[in-house]
Parts: sequence; C-alpha cells; structure tokens
Amino acid sequence: MAEFSTSVVDKGDISVINLSGYLDAHTAPTLENNFTELIDQNHFKIVVNFEDLAYISSAGLGVFMAYIEKIRDNKGDIKLTNMNEKVYNIFDLLGFPLLYEIFKTEDEAINKFSESDGIGTK
Amino acid sequence: MKSSALNISENIQFRLFLLFAVGLLVYKLFISVPGTLVYMLVSDLLILLTIAFLFLSLISFFEKRKASPFSLIMNIGILNAFIFFLITFSNSFMSLLFDNVNERINNPSLTSVLVTLVYLLLIVGFVTYVLVTLRHLFFLRQSKSQQVYFITMIIFFILASLTAPYLSDTKFAFICDTFLIVSVLLMVINSLRISWIAFIVKKEKIALLILSIVIAILFIVNLNNTGEETLHSQMLTSFAPSVNEFASIVMLYGAIYFSVLFFTTLFHIPTAAAFDRKAEEVSSLQYFSKLITQVLDFKELAETVTDITTRIGSADASWIIWKDDEFVPIANKNIGFIDSEKISKFILKKIKWDDINDSTFIRLADLENKQELSQPYKVAAISPLRSYGDVKGLLIAVRIGEQKFSEEDKSAIATFSDYASVSIENSQLLEESIEKERLEKELDVAREIQRKILPEKNPEFDQLDISSVFIPAFEVGGDYYDFFKLSDSKLGFVIADVSGKGISAAFIMAEVKGIFESLAKTYLSPKEILIRANDILKHTLDSKTFVSAAYGIIDMEKNQMKMARAGHCPVLLLRGETAQPVKPSGIGLGLSNEKQFEENLDESTLILEENDTIVLYTDGITEAKNEDLEDFGDKYFTEILLENRKKSAEELSKKVIKEVSMFSHNHMQYDDITLVILKWKQKIKIDGEKEWQSSAPQL
Repeated sequence: MAEFSTSVVDKGDISVINLSGYLDAHTAPTLENNFTELIDQNHFKIVVNFEDLAYISSAGLGVFMAYIEKIRDNKGDIKLTNMNEKVYNIFDLLGFPLLYEIFKTEDEAINKFSESDGIGTK
Repeated sequence: MKSSALNISENIQFRLFLLFAVGLLVYKLFISVPGTLVYMLVSDLLILLTIAFLFLSLISFFEKRKASPFSLIMNIGILNAFIFFLITFSNSFMSLLFDNVNERINNPSLTSVLVTLVYLLLIVGFVTYVLVTLRHLFFLRQSKSQQVYFITMIIFFILASLTAPYLSDTKFAFICDTFLIVSVLLMVINSLRISWIAFIVKKEKIALLILSIVIAILFIVNLNNTGEETLHSQMLTSFAPSVNEFASIVMLYGAIYFSVLFFTTLFHIPTAAAFDRKAEEVSSLQYFSKLITQVLDFKELAETVTDITTRIGSADASWIIWKDDEFVPIANKNIGFIDSEKISKFILKKIKWDDINDSTFIRLADLENKQELSQPYKVAAISPLRSYGDVKGLLIAVRIGEQKFSEEDKSAIATFSDYASVSIENSQLLEESIEKERLEKELDVAREIQRKILPEKNPEFDQLDISSVFIPAFEVGGDYYDFFKLSDSKLGFVIADVSGKGISAAFIMAEVKGIFESLAKTYLSPKEILIRANDILKHTLDSKTFVSAAYGIIDMEKNQMKMARAGHCPVLLLRGETAQPVKPSGIGLGLSNEKQFEENLDESTLILEENDTIVLYTDGITEAKNEDLEDFGDKYFTEILLENRKKSAEELSKKVIKEVSMFSHNHMQYDDITLVILKWKQKIKIDGEKEWQSSAPQL
C-alpha cells in the first residue's frame, strides 16, 4: 500500500497535524499516536490539514471519532481543513460536516479557535 | 537396587580385607616358627589375599567417581611421594626405634611385630592404591574392552612375586624369571595404550610432560629403594617375602607407564595446538547445529548467537544491535546494558549501518567517558547480520585489555555471523509463515461468519426482479445486506458497511444483522429503524467504529418506496435515461448521539414507475482501483448502469461486476463488493387497468 505520514506543527497554542498519503486501517495507528501524544501534553486545540492526503478509508475516519469526545470535554476541538473534493465527499457522505467544523484553509480554522477564545474571555 | 548390591559387595570386600589383616597379625603373634617354608608361604598367602580384597574394594570405590586423567596422575604422584618418605623414614629411623634391627627381625617382639605390620599395611595400601589408579588410567577412554590384557598382567604380577622369593636362588630360577619377563612385556604393552592423551588441551599436555617425568623418576627411586639390601626390604621380606617383590613390580610398572607417557606426551606436543583448534571447530559445529534447532524463538536464538560468539571469538562480552528495536542492545552476554548501550552508540557513530559489508574491528580508545564503563573494553569486532540482503543487525564482540583479536578469532566471528544471519533469516521466515497462517485462519473465520449472515437467496415477488452479488475482499470487509419480508406486499431491505476490516468487522456485522432483524419487525418506518439502530450501536461500538447503512421499505400495494440513509453511499434510481442518486441526509450509525442523529435524518418517499431500477451498493465498487490507483468512480458506474438498464436485474449485475473486475484486474480487491439491484414491474390489475401513479422522486 501507499505510504502515509504525518507531521505536527505548533502554532501558538494550536497544534496542526499535516497528513499525507493514504490513511486506512493499516496506517491509522500513526495518526492515533499523534493524537495520544497531543492529549498527553494537554494540547486540545487541534487542526488537521488534509492538503496532501490522497485517500481516507472508513477506519481512517474512525481515528477522529476516537478522540473527539475527550478533546471536547477539555474545551478543545478538532477542526479539519484543506480537504480535496474526493476526501470531502467521503466525509460528507457519512455526515461528518455535521459533527466537525471543516474549513477551506488552515488560517480559517486557527482564526476560529482564536475567535471562540476571544468570546470565552469576554 | 544395583547400587545397594554394589554397596554390599564392596562392604564385604572391605571387611574381608580387614579380616585378613587381623588374621595376619594373629598369625604372626601366636605362631612363631620363623624361617620355615610353610610358615612363609602361609604369610604370603594371607598378605596376598589382604591385597586382593583391598584391590577389589578400591576398584569399586573408583568406579563411583568420575576422575579426570589429570587428577589420577596427581594422585599417583602424591602416593609415590608418600612411599618415598615412608621408605626413607624406615631406613633411617627404624634403627633408632629398635636397638638391633636384625635381631628383632629374627626374633620378633610384640612391638616390633605391630610396628612392622602397620608399616607393611601402609606400604601395601599405598602400592595397591597406585595399582588401582594405574588400572583406572589404563581403562580411561578405551574404546574396546581391554580387560583381558590387564587381568593377565595382574596374574603374572602375582605369579612373579610369589615365586621369586622361593625360586630365585635355586635351579628353578628360570620359572620366576620367565614370569617376571612376561610381566614386564605385558607392562610395556599395557603402557602403550594411552588413548586419553588426545583429549586434553595443549596447556595440560605441557604440565603432563613435566609431571610424568617427575613421577617416572620417583617410581625409579622407589624401585631402587625396595632393593634387597635396604632395611625396608629386609623388614618386608622377614614378614612376607612376596610383598616386597610385589611392591617392586608395581613400582616397575609405574616407572614404565610414566616413561612411556612422557614420550607419548612429548610426541603429542607439536600437534597439540592444531589438535586443539580442530577440537574447537568440531565443537563449533555442534554450536551451529544448536542454532538450527533454535529458530523457533528469536530471543533464544539471539542469546545463543552471543553466547557462541564469546566462545569461538575468545571475546569477553558480546551482544546484538537489532534494527527493529531502535538500535537497542539485545541478548547481552557478560556485559551490562548500560555499558553495551554506550559502546553501541559509539559504534553506530563510527560506522554507517548500510555500508558495513564484512566484519570490521574498531578500537574503543576514543570512546568518550570510557572511564564510566565498568570494564576497560578496548577493542570491538563488528559483524553484520543480514536478512534478505539487508543489514538487520550488528553482532558485536568486545575484549578487555590490550590483546587484539587474532586472525583466527576474526575469521571465526565473521564465519559465525554468516551462520547466524542464515538462522535469523530462517527464524523470521518461520515467524512470518506462522503469522500468515494465523491470519488466514482468522480470515477464514471472518468469511464464514459473513457467508452465514448474508441471505442465502433473494426473496421472490411478482413485482420485483431482484439480484444480489457479494464478493469478499481478501481481508474481509464489513459489508452486509439483507431482505425482510414484512408482509406479502411489503419488503424491507438494508445495505450496510462496517468501518474497519477482518474478524472484528465480521462480528460487528453479525451484531448489525441482529439489530435490523428485530427492528424491521417492530417499526415500519425506515427513519425510525435507523434511529433505533443508532441508539443501540452508539452504546455498543467503540468510539472509532461506525456503520454506514441505508434502509428502505417497498410497499407493493402503494407502488411506493420509503428510504432513509445513515452515512451510506446514495441509492441510485434508474428511471428512463437518467440515474438519480437518492441521498436523504443522515449521519453514519454510531457516530452521533440520539438527538443529533434524529435531527439530521431525513426520509425519502418515492412512487415507483414501470422499470424503475433501484441500485444499492457499497464503496467497494466505486473505490475499486486499477494499477494506476485510479478509482472505478461514480461516473463510470452510472454510465454502465444506464447503458445496460434494459437488461434483467441479474444480467445488469453481472455486467457491472464484469466491468469492475476488468477495471481492477491488476490491483488487489481491497474492500468487499456488494451490489443489490431491485427492478420494479408494475402490477397489472385484474380489470386490466394499470395503476399508474407517477411522481418525481423526492430527493
């Protein structure tokens, strides 16, 4: 199978996970590790950038479900950005846009975090 | 049982020995007619029997312990020293104890008899012990039974010692001379059988050379001291003449044996080193065969490898750096983890992992913080361990101190690492095939579950032409479809796809079947059924697993189909020359809570028209891939459906599957494929009037 890789970049208090390649049942543990590490470090504001992701399977989608509850309990969120059409369709078919905020660009997602923070402090 | 029998006989032999010794004393004390032939003969017989039983009980004592030739030789040396001191002592101090020894001998008092007897028994004891030890040496490492030679020799010893005192000065002297000559001949023959010498190492051979010459000289000295004119011999002869003869013969045998041993050892020394190496090679072969039997357990194999490396490479410690374990030292032999880790890091800095072709040697002189090592390791031998041509690990052997690895050590380690590579490769192959077999068994179970869950045949209705195809992927996916005959005119159908693969997906699929079976009978709205299914699955599935599903009910009385979709691929409606995706909104089962799910779930109702074709499928079709990893795709799928829309459900389904398999024949089928086609036949009313209610589907 094609390769899959991730990289994590911290932007302020927001962590951005960049995905690339094929995310399926076999490669999902890599992403799971990223989430586990971020949660261990109390990083709950997470943006996932799908720009270089070619394919996602149902098991790949499951990874986001596994951590969302814990992250939201800690006043954080997972926001998804930069999906290509094919990947978006898979998310859309399953109703994920109803469960997650999906943005066109990474900046929009980061701004959204900042905005809600702003609201929170007011 | 056997050992107790042995004990008893040994005990009896020892008691008989004591009995004869005491008998000898009594005889000497109370029957004193010295000088006569009969008197002397009786003492000789008594003493010979004493010796015989001592000899026998000593033999059984020896049988029980496994002595090395070296310790036996040391024993003989020490005994000889004792004999030497005893004789010297008797020659110089006996005269001080008794004023006139010669007179005492001829005219014995109680003390002199006692002292002489004790002295005699000591000499007899030592000499017998020497003989028994020599016998043991003789039998050591003998491949064939040589019992006859030794027994014959002992018989001639007895004959020679018994006849000598009585016949040597007569005209029959030739008889005892013959016995003596035959004895000496047998001694020489028996001394030539020293097979155990081949089995000792060079160092021991050198020690043996010195020992054997010293002991041979001691024997000759003792032999000389037992000569006729000494006080010692006079004492013994006066007591029992043959004893002195017997002692001399044994001393002679010892002298011959050890002289022969000396020369044999001398001739063995030049080849000793080569012989040692050969022996080491032979035992290495044994090690290698040990490797073959251990391929079942990688950890055990690694430990054997390092163990053997330290032995054959004369190294002080050894370990393996294995790539899979992130270069962590494993199977440490004679070295602590911290030391081995430090040295490993140093080695990995010095050499490039992929470039290492042959064994290399590096000095650990410029290792930082080397004073922190618990031992002054100076040099390391590094050999690659390969599997399928790649370097998978490094075999490290280190030495303490200044001495470098010799050429032989180098080649031994290099050769051994090749053997070890083969074994490790085998071990991995075996592990893989076991894992593969396990996986295949598991997949078989999953396929079996899946096969039993899916409907055996399609339901039959006048108004519906139904076909269904299911093609499992190698790694069983979680596709599921089913039909529920709700009444004579109502058919429920479901298509679902469990996220994930393999046996866990198959089990969830079984659960999903159970849920739909029971819900289908209870609720009559697809929306309601999916809401209930979501409730149940939200609580039973783990958070990362979910199920996409579409559920529909066809009412044949009303020509109506209702359906709801929970995250599944849209249902396609082929009508006329168009293919319309029926895609009411809905989130996958198990993803959201009751409220959110219900709020976002719509239900579509459509009135069916003649030849309407409803196509249910899973993403195994649209995501089937060709060799360029391109998808089969929605567009191509609908094109094929439309082109063949006039065919029967069965033929249409066959056509689609044919196209999919042609498209993806160069790529493994990665997901299950499910395709269910329902073709609507308008009911002809008995009065001939067509029930014709047409409406656009509500999407």
